[in-house]
Amino acid sequence: MDDYKYLFKVVLIGEAGVGKTCLVRRFTQGLFPPGQGATIGVDFMIKSVEVNGEKIKLQIWDTAGQERFRSITQSYYHSANALILVYDVCSQLSFDNIPHWIQEIEKYANTKVFSYLVGNKIDQINRREIPSHIGEQFAKRYEMKFIETSAKEAENVDALFYDIATELTKQAHQQALETDKGVNFKAHNTSTISSCSTCLRF
Amino acid sequence: MAASRSDATSLPTFDGVENLITMTDIQKAFDELCVEEESMNGELDNLLEHQTALENKMSGLHKILPNLQILETDSKQLSSMVSFTSTLAENVSSKVRQLDVAKSQVTACITRVEDILDLKFCTDGVQTALQNEDYEKATGHVHRFRSLDENILRMSEESGEGSTLDSSFRLLQEAEEKLKSIVNTKFDAAVHSGDFASIERFFKIFPLIGLHEEGLTKFGKFLSSQIAEKSRGNLMIAESVTHKDKNANVIYAETATQLFESIANIIEVRQPLIETYFGSGKLFSLMKILQKECDRQVRQILEKFKLKRDFDAVVQQVQQNAVFHRPSATEKFDPKVLDVLLSEVVLLNTRTELFLRFFRRRAVGDMESAYSNDDLKEKIKEIDKFISNCDLNRLMQELIGNYIMMEEFFMREMVLKAVSMDTVEESSHTSSMVDDSFYIVKKCVRRAVSSSSVDGICAMLNHASTVLEQDFREVLFSRVRAGFPSGFDLTQAYNMVQSSIQQGKLQSSDQEKAKTTFLVAMNNAEVSCEYCKSLKSNIEEEVLRSFSKSSEQSKAKLQSCVTDLGNVAVRLKEVVDFGVSQLRSSAIKPRIKPLTDAFLSTSHNISEDDFSNYEANDPWVQNYILQIDNMLATFKSALSTENYDTFVSQVTTEVTFQLEKAVLKTSFNRLGGLQFDKELRALVGYLSSVTTWTIRDKFARLTQMATILNLERVNELLDYWGPNSGPLTWRLTPTEVRNILSLRVDFRSEEIKKLKL
Repeated sequence: MDDYKYLFKVVLIGEAGVGKTCLVRRFTQGLFPPGQGATIGVDFMIKSVEVNGEKIKLQIWDTAGQERFRSITQSYYHSANALILVYDVCSQLSFDNIPHWIQEIEKYANTKVFSYLVGNKIDQINRREIPSHIGEQFAKRYEMKFIETSAKEAENVDALFYDIATELTKQAHQQALETDKGVNFKAHNTSTISSCSTCLRF
Repeated sequence: MAASRSDATSLPTFDGVENLITMTDIQKAFDELCVEEESMNGELDNLLEHQTALENKMSGLHKILPNLQILETDSKQLSSMVSFTSTLAENVSSKVRQLDVAKSQVTACITRVEDILDLKFCTDGVQTALQNEDYEKATGHVHRFRSLDENILRMSEESGEGSTLDSSFRLLQEAEEKLKSIVNTKFDAAVHSGDFASIERFFKIFPLIGLHEEGLTKFGKFLSSQIAEKSRGNLMIAESVTHKDKNANVIYAETATQLFESIANIIEVRQPLIETYFGSGKLFSLMKILQKECDRQVRQILEKFKLKRDFDAVVQQVQQNAVFHRPSATEKFDPKVLDVLLSEVVLLNTRTELFLRFFRRRAVGDMESAYSNDDLKEKIKEIDKFISNCDLNRLMQELIGNYIMMEEFFMREMVLKAVSMDTVEESSHTSSMVDDSFYIVKKCVRRAVSSSSVDGICAMLNHASTVLEQDFREVLFSRVRAGFPSGFDLTQAYNMVQSSIQQGKLQSSDQEKAKTTFLVAMNNAEVSCEYCKSLKSNIEEEVLRSFSKSSEQSKAKLQSCVTDLGNVAVRLKEVVDFGVSQLRSSAIKPRIKPLTDAFLSTSHNISEDDFSNYEANDPWVQNYILQIDNMLATFKSALSTENYDTFVSQVTTEVTFQLEKAVLKTSFNRLGGLQFDKELRALVGYLSSVTTWTIRDKFARLTQMATILNLERVNELLDYWGPNSGPLTWRLTPTEVRNILSLRVDFRSEEIKKLKL
């Protein structure tokens, strides 16, 4: 086992054909394999990144977009540390379905899950149907982070995953701090009780 | 050489004789001449010495001379002979070469003649064979004809026989066409009449007349029709099966299995035939055709299955219930019905996976014997693509999708039910929800594992983790979070908790109820933690066993999901830890504190008389032990072994903590120190007797305090300190040691200060 500070689960979701697998491949292997078949079930990749000198392992679950795999992909929401909801900037349909996906997130995922709205395929300049600001507004309304990417031209792909790693690391640090505080609080609490009982005795 | 030199030196000397004018010059010339003479004499002597040897050599050379002449003539002769031979050989070999060429031409000629003869033979043979309906023979002739090089034979047309050759070719081509159509029609006719022998007979002919693909397609169609017929028959039988039949619950899975088995059987039986007559690498073509039929038949079986089992309606209901989460959802279904249905779905998928694995293995195996390296990789890719895109796979993916949804629903509902029907059994530390919930989760996950669908298993493992963490753990956590009520009359309360658990009287006062709830929840969490670990390792083992041959990717996925399930144990442990901290602050602390305070009211600055009096009438420690023993006894019956151990450990920690504080507030004399040592021994002895692990470590500081308080003189400490400490590790700092020494009223503070620690 190699050494790492944190392991985070990142789950990609979204309609079929928006480029989830391509984003993952681009990030993990630096490839853009054209003519990929549809993902069957769920794919699984691991990539380590460094955030402020700490080694972070990202466990990336690339889910199938097709309807018949929905009940399988839903099972991954709960344990996810971050969700990446992808749509295709050239497909109004994939964008129109986003509210439905957000419902799914609200239903199955942890309430505190860190989620990202990603508009993919921005290299297709002439075919774009969703302008940037529309996507951004949407993300804001649902308190998600927003970024536009091109898996084909490797634009913003690393930025997306690094931002997730950084944010999750920050959260983890904060949480560690809070549990420490919690312990302190508890200790403090018990001491008050004991001092109270001494008060009573005297 | 010597002579020439002497010439060279003497000449100028003599030329210049006239020029020698002075005496000194003459003298000088004379001297030079003398030296020259001397050296000449030396050289001459030298030559004379070697005279005999030189003469010998000379005579030897004279003897050899005539031989040399003979040698020269001999050599010349040899050379001319060699060149003669060489020309001769050259001549001979060129003739051989010519012969060789001639010979190969003759052979070619013979082959051609043979070919022409063959051609004629074939031409005649084909016709008679066709007339006699001996198609194998006719095929043999045509096959022979097809192996001839038509163009070469055509070259001999000029030699006059052209017209007959031409007609032979035409005839044979016609015969080939005729044969093709005959084989086609005969094959079709044989298929039509169900004449298996003829089908096989004509099937073998196809590759010989170059109709590989066509033959495989036709044969595939024939086999498909057989499969279809058989499967339809099986389905009919399945439809008529009554409920009493032992297979009734899985009859559609069985029907599908029969279908898979019949296809596998066909592939098994026909593979050698195809390999022999069609060659390797052709099997996949046939398998593709068979798979298409398999897809069709499975679709029909599944349609009937869904109809008969009301599958779509059930799916819809579950979906709606999952969305609106009605509390009465379970009442609508008979969980048993769902249970049966899920088992059949799982079995369907298991059999499918098994079949597809067989399919891939056979197809790949056949390709491996025909191709290698990149070609093989390409072919395997093609096979994998075909399998993942085939209808059968797609149908099963849909089915598994629905299965996961229903299984998850079933699991969640049943766990919720188990939680809502939670009861505490007599003589049990835990309540029924633990065993019940884990039984359900285990059952569901294991059922998923038996489906052999990697994604399905992963999904159910994820759901199991979620259910255990949300629907199960949350309940325990909320019960523990409610806290352990610290009542006014503690002893009574403990006793009542004990009696209520022992007698199952749970309708007593609210406070007791709350206490029981708290303790049982804590036990539940602790036992669940263990269950969770063992569930994880069981499933892990099972998964590893059944998927040992799967891809690394699949194994990694499964491993990750199994690990997540194991992590639920950690979250359950948190509940236990939280419970322990609650107990410590609300049950242990308030109880130990006043008990320990009794130590303060017992003087340890005592006389001889007091000491012996204490011996007879123990001032506090016996009561202290009795009280602790009472408290432990009440909790012992209410806590699980593991939790009880933790509890005792907490009590011990609290006792040492409080006692240390008390000791530091007390003053001692020599006898008091001895008394304290006795008391401490009694306490350690008692606590050791009630625990399975050693508690001496926890008492290390107190024991060391007792040692210090027991000293005769201040300086005696040095016998135990620093280099003299031996195996003893001091847990007390020098400052603390001084503090404790100063508790002794009879030790002088200057002496303590003087100590070098």
